[in-house]
Amino acid sequence: MNSNVWVLTFADAISIATTLILASIGAIITERSGVINLGIEGMLLMGAVTAFLVGDSTHSIWLALFLSILVGMAMATVHAVLTITLRSNQIVSGLALVIFGTGLSQFLGKSVEGKPRPVQIRPLNFGSLSDIPFFGPVVFGHDLITYFTWIVALFASWYLFRTRSGLILRATGDAPATVDAQGVSVAAVRYFHTIAGGALVGLAGGWFMLARGTAWSQAATTNGIGWIALALVVFAAWRPLRAIIGAVLFGFTLQVPFTLQAQQIRIFPPEILQMLPYLATIAVLVVLSTPRARRLLGAPTMLGQPFVRDER
Amino acid sequence: MNIGRTRIELEPRLTSPRWLVLAVPFASVLLALVVGGVFLLLTGHAPIRTYSKLFSNGYSTFYGMTDTLGLATPLICTGLAAAYAFRMNLFNIGEEGQMYLGMIGGAWAGIALAEHLPKAIAVSVVLAFGALAGGLWVLVPAVLRAKLGTSEIVSTLLLNYVALNLVNYFIFGSRGFFRDSSTSFPQGRLVWSSARLGNFGTTNTYPTLIIAILLAIALWWFIRNSNYGYETSVFADSPSTARYAGMNATRLTVTVLLGSGALAGLAGAMYVVGPAGKIDPGLLQIGLGYAGIVVASLARYNFVAVVITAILFAGLRVGGASLQISTNPVPISIAVVLQGSVLLFALGGEIFRRNRIRIHRIKPLVISPEAGA
Repeated sequence: MNSNVWVLTFADAISIATTLILASIGAIITERSGVINLGIEGMLLMGAVTAFLVGDSTHSIWLALFLSILVGMAMATVHAVLTITLRSNQIVSGLALVIFGTGLSQFLGKSVEGKPRPVQIRPLNFGSLSDIPFFGPVVFGHDLITYFTWIVALFASWYLFRTRSGLILRATGDAPATVDAQGVSVAAVRYFHTIAGGALVGLAGGWFMLARGTAWSQAATTNGIGWIALALVVFAAWRPLRAIIGAVLFGFTLQVPFTLQAQQIRIFPPEILQMLPYLATIAVLVVLSTPRARRLLGAPTMLGQPFVRDER
Repeated sequence: MNIGRTRIELEPRLTSPRWLVLAVPFASVLLALVVGGVFLLLTGHAPIRTYSKLFSNGYSTFYGMTDTLGLATPLICTGLAAAYAFRMNLFNIGEEGQMYLGMIGGAWAGIALAEHLPKAIAVSVVLAFGALAGGLWVLVPAVLRAKLGTSEIVSTLLLNYVALNLVNYFIFGSRGFFRDSSTSFPQGRLVWSSARLGNFGTTNTYPTLIIAILLAIALWWFIRNSNYGYETSVFADSPSTARYAGMNATRLTVTVLLGSGALAGLAGAMYVVGPAGKIDPGLLQIGLGYAGIVVASLARYNFVAVVITAILFAGLRVGGASLQISTNPVPISIAVVLQGSVLLFALGGEIFRRNRIRIHRIKPLVISPEAGA
């Protein structure tokens, strides 16, 4: 086996990381406000099926992605109304979104089941730059959304740690009563960031369908990537830039089974290899999500707690 | 919350009136049907006709009803599994995978141990091994949660994908123990006939239904009357109180999660002694584990209510399946859409059950000179 294969695998891992980065940054800004949204997997599926259906009928990539974003925002709004205004259990609300999104995406996708994707997001053409060994495929082999995603991560990091709004956002997750005492509406901050996070998750689903998916398949479109993105939030310590590193690592574990299969390397049967990304994610969670580690990492203190002014 | 001059206040209720306890789920179902109806219309199906077919096929005919009860059997178990853990704020959402492991464990016992055993013992052994396998599958997340505080939510869920690949490996990837070696068609090897229960007459209902219902009643009784059940209830209300009272939080967390996994495993084993008789990848398509979470949440973690909710939901699924036989088939996933919507509305409705809503106008504030004096 030549080294070129591993370069391409690495490039693929960076590409596949796009979904993970977008989804986990969506989750990071949501969770930084104190709202935990477990519905990511359902939102990814809905984003994916929306992109497929819109792409199928209009053949416009941009319209498809735009509507994926809107669908992501709509689902996040449902979560926001339930958990912020109606103070429902955030865990159960997120799970309900997963079940609803899974069901609805299967229902809407039934008519296009097995159909190849109608439009494809292609890598940008950098001319001879893509022929440079290693850097060619790894840096210059991606599509516009992937580069946009890196900018989103940089922007999110700047927003969180260098702006006043970012400071308020972090304070809302750590000490909502203080934010409230400052005269800032905790509910408004939480609504805004939950819905903004939903937009990124919707885009992640749409991009995944049109760039990485080959066909809509109700059984195996996202394959739990939404859950991996949630674990990635912990890995990234709620910091957008670290999410990039984590996403590439997890992207690698998602890609390796395919590379080994394509190379006819049969150390393990393919079904066993397919377990790799999930087992790797659990292993990482074990190390990182102990309460001590969480404190060191900087998990939002009031994550998952509804804010009621009178009770504080 | 203020909207203009109107002030909306929530006032916690001490007790919810009986009519509300029923009105909230009823309204949730109604609203969910409206949501489902919108998507049916969008995809070119007549909502009223679809629903009347759905309900008549799922609940009214004899075979519809017995199909429903047959499907409800494993669903009661996964619903109990979710309720058992969720009521203690332990969010085991890996019932799907634990159920697969129950199927694997049950099939192993049914093939390896059941040959010379009398029926009653063979069936019990299969069910016990299924429960054991389901419980063991949650052991790692349970110990991690209890000892290190690792969130059980993501770890139990991720193991679903591992379990799914394990079933695929046994049936499609390997030619090993669980695979039927008499044919090249990939299917599971049948367990010994002594390990299988017959169905009732010509229906799809199996005696395991009775076991599932008895189990629900037994759990309800056990939690109310045993010392252990009392400890779990205290722990559910306030983990710190439980700790001050000298209860062992680690032991409670691990045992409740293991019990939850065992209940989900039982669902898979019931599939083996009942309709399947082998490891059947068909179980992977139904999503009974995820549906169990919905059932438990709607039943508000009450074990007896789980039975009723599971039967209602199974009917939805059976009715959904019968919609396939048509020139313009409605995808069966409409049942999942309805489940998800019901849960979302029921969650939103909780606030009306728990709080009294008061709406009143704010009197404009007049500052008079005397008030200051």
